[in-house]
Amino acid sequence: MPRSWVDAILAAGAVPASYVPDASAGRTDLEEFTGADGVEDVALRTYAVADTRPLAPGTVAFLDGIEQWRVVGYGGVTPIVRGYVAAAVRRRGPDRRLRTAAEASREVAITRLESLAEPLRRALAASGVDLLELAEEDVGQPGRAIQAARRELERARLAQERELGERCLAALGPDEWLVVDGVLSDSAALSAHPRALGVIKSHGAQYFEGPELERALTLPAGHRTSVFQPKRRGARRAIYSWYLRLWPWEGNDLLYGLVRVEAHADAVTVARASALSAWLLRERSPLSTPDARWDRLLYAIHDVETYLRSRTPRDVIAPPGSRLPRTGS
Amino acid sequence: MIRPAEPGSPAPLGRVVATELKPATPHQFHFWTANETTIGIGAIVKVEGPGVGDQGPGRVVYGVVTDGFAYSDLATPLHDVVAAEGDPARAAESPSVRQEIRLWTAAVLRQQPEEPLQPVPLGAVYVASDADVAQALRMDAYVTGAQPSGIPVGLYTAAGLEAPVYLDADFLLGPEAAHLNISGVSGLATKTSAVEFLLASIFEHFPAHKGRVAALCFNVKGPDLCFLDRPGALDDADRRRYERLGITPQPFERVRYYAPFKADGVNLNTLRTHPDLVGDVEPLVWGLSEVLDFAEVLLNRDDIDAKADAFIDFLSDRVLNKEFDDGFGGSHRVQTFADLNGLFRAIFDGLELSGRSDMWRTHHIATIRKVRNRLSNISTRCKGLVTDDGPSSDLPWGRFEDRTVYVVDVANVDPLGQDLVFARAVSKLREHLERRDLGVEAVVVFVDELNKYAPGDGPETYVRKMLLDISERGRYLGLVLFAAEQFRSQVHRRVVGNAGTTLFGRMDADELATPGYHVLSPAVKIKLATLPIGELMVRHPHFTQPIFVRFPRPAVLRGRDGVERFPPAADLPFEEAVVRQLARLDRRIRPNQVKDLIAERRPDDVRRALAAVRRTRPDDALAYFRRMLGARVAPATAPAREAVPPLNPISEEPY
Repeated sequence: MPRSWVDAILAAGAVPASYVPDASAGRTDLEEFTGADGVEDVALRTYAVADTRPLAPGTVAFLDGIEQWRVVGYGGVTPIVRGYVAAAVRRRGPDRRLRTAAEASREVAITRLESLAEPLRRALAASGVDLLELAEEDVGQPGRAIQAARRELERARLAQERELGERCLAALGPDEWLVVDGVLSDSAALSAHPRALGVIKSHGAQYFEGPELERALTLPAGHRTSVFQPKRRGARRAIYSWYLRLWPWEGNDLLYGLVRVEAHADAVTVARASALSAWLLRERSPLSTPDARWDRLLYAIHDVETYLRSRTPRDVIAPPGSRLPRTGS
Repeated sequence: MIRPAEPGSPAPLGRVVATELKPATPHQFHFWTANETTIGIGAIVKVEGPGVGDQGPGRVVYGVVTDGFAYSDLATPLHDVVAAEGDPARAAESPSVRQEIRLWTAAVLRQQPEEPLQPVPLGAVYVASDADVAQALRMDAYVTGAQPSGIPVGLYTAAGLEAPVYLDADFLLGPEAAHLNISGVSGLATKTSAVEFLLASIFEHFPAHKGRVAALCFNVKGPDLCFLDRPGALDDADRRRYERLGITPQPFERVRYYAPFKADGVNLNTLRTHPDLVGDVEPLVWGLSEVLDFAEVLLNRDDIDAKADAFIDFLSDRVLNKEFDDGFGGSHRVQTFADLNGLFRAIFDGLELSGRSDMWRTHHIATIRKVRNRLSNISTRCKGLVTDDGPSSDLPWGRFEDRTVYVVDVANVDPLGQDLVFARAVSKLREHLERRDLGVEAVVVFVDELNKYAPGDGPETYVRKMLLDISERGRYLGLVLFAAEQFRSQVHRRVVGNAGTTLFGRMDADELATPGYHVLSPAVKIKLATLPIGELMVRHPHFTQPIFVRFPRPAVLRGRDGVERFPPAADLPFEEAVVRQLARLDRRIRPNQVKDLIAERRPDDVRRALAAVRRTRPDDALAYFRRMLGARVAPATAPAREAVPPLNPISEEPY
């Protein structure tokens, strides 16, 4: 019976480990000011969308991805990380139920081969597992190596999502929309598609300063900002964007219930920004509790996440109590 | 995503799931299905555990669904309120439907292999097929083989499947277990219909190696059992079910009806008096000797003490049907209530004239008077059933026929009389079955209204003792009790507890709340409380869990339909009733001949002569009737009374 690659490296001399770093969930984001150009208005304004007739597409596909990882062994002080990324598209039809339309997953080993002993390297190579190499400068200190591994895994997840999203676009019906959890601008195909929407929950990147920033971050519930175009960063494509407040932030924090929407950079997007916003407002229901991010997490995206988590191989996640010292028996 | 089934193999409908809080055990498991599924409470499912290597499927477990749950991923109801902003109408407008689950609980019916008994494997769940149902209910042990003993009780219907369910005759009619109890609310015709159907099934499927079988049914209310020989209306679904169960949809071929007379002694006390049918009804009339053995039934235990008991025993042992010297010079042969009354009169007169004492043969005169009063009263209270004078007309003890239903209609008889009929009939059955000379090897006794005859509380009665006796010992004799009641919880525990097979129709919610039903899940109770007509829950020794079955309407005319189609005839005048009874025995008899014979005769004499003809069944009924009636005695002419002259002639003068 074939052993897993983890068993193989342990047999090859790796010191077994079972360590899920605290920050293994969630994603990193840019935390810098990038700037934006006004599209709908020169200066950022707010629009009430609560009374706007929402766009009501008959069929909508929702795309999201997950990543799971843990340190499964050490070669010296170099961590060997087992990572798992998966993405899925769940389609919602007229019956309002979500069903899986496409999914993909990948298991990877993340480490720096050069830092491992020869038997370990051979064992990893022989196992056939996809290997993501850490840069030399990242593996000097174990803590830094783990952070680097996390970034590698996130990149793998984004690539998985992007690939699945682009594949899904090809199968999208004439009136069907694709809602992506995250930015569209990483993909040329997604950002150019007229019926793709990106819904971003994290707000590391800031596009405004001063009064416009205040206007954006103190947006009342059921309102959106003017459509703007974030300034290009690196390989990111031209995209139109706006902020939308799903729930009142007063009594919570500035980002409570605040999402940023990305859509195709086109005049049509500007024309229907309110209708799209009204649609997303409707997506507040049902609540995606008990997820802590429920104020910004659309239920359908939450559903995709739940689906993916339920499909995660059980041994990727360390069982509770697994860090207790082994008994002699 | 649900994987399509491989061609030719059934698609699983669910999967067993187990958590620490809801583990799979050897007796219970949980499984989920798609939201839209064909199964429900009572459905039988099969779990196939994963096999090892190439050895095919592993452990196979059969279960019956006992509970169902549906829930969504909603963390708390408050979140639904928040999402809908407090407006229930908006809740329906959510663009996405929450993830839901249909989670089912099933009780294990059978595991294969049976040993070692292990928790249910976390495998795929399938709808049970015909063969699976047979396996699950262990019917394979008695439906097939050299001497099959399966008695169809109905069809298990679920997920589009209709599989016959069989009871084991050895456990329904003895000797392994026996007796059947059926509970259900009144008015849905389920209890009586189920018994009628089951009797038909028994008659058709009773195994030949077990001998002959008959049924004795007490009709205790309305016309329920008065038309068992008449075809009832069946629809195509009923016929299909009969065919599936292998039962011929026809009324009972042999039914014998018995009913006592009304108080007039000539009109039958039954609703089966339509001219086309009344000819089949035999009178049920008992005299002193039939009654005295069961005097205990008729006499109130509170006012009959040991002394009275002793005197009654004395009468039975020493007096009845014997030449008996009363000690005062008189000789008596007591055969009737009238004879007994003559004896009592002789004793009282003798004691009074001799002035000896208040004692007669160690019995105090007060005891004798008490017994006399009670016994004399019997023929009044049960007039029509108990005759003062004359011979009896009884069930055919010793001549019971195979596959024959004997219906004793006591629906309109005084409750005391019903008790007497029941006690005597059952005692006679037991007596003959013990001697193996009844004519059949097994008899099903059907008693409705068990709440009344064997209540859980109240005074000890003869009938209840008798029912207990049948319940506990009848199976060894072939005396099988089929009993029905509305409230099982109010029937004596040992009577229902000894019933090997139990059927439940639609149940009253209050009844289901009683402790006897705590073993049932809330879902099963709900199903029982809403069970449609024609559906039953069955418990049988071979079934480890209750099973729901559907049975076709009985192929006999329902009582209320029978009364409409064959309305009971009005009571005939005495003369006409006598004519009809004689004409039934001998078609040559002309009404006028009978009327001439009985003109100006005492009705009691006519009744006695008629009973003699009925009992003897002579070739020439009229001649025999004439002989029994005796010669007409011309009324004696009273001597003319001489006028007695007044002592003082009336004078013209007033003073």
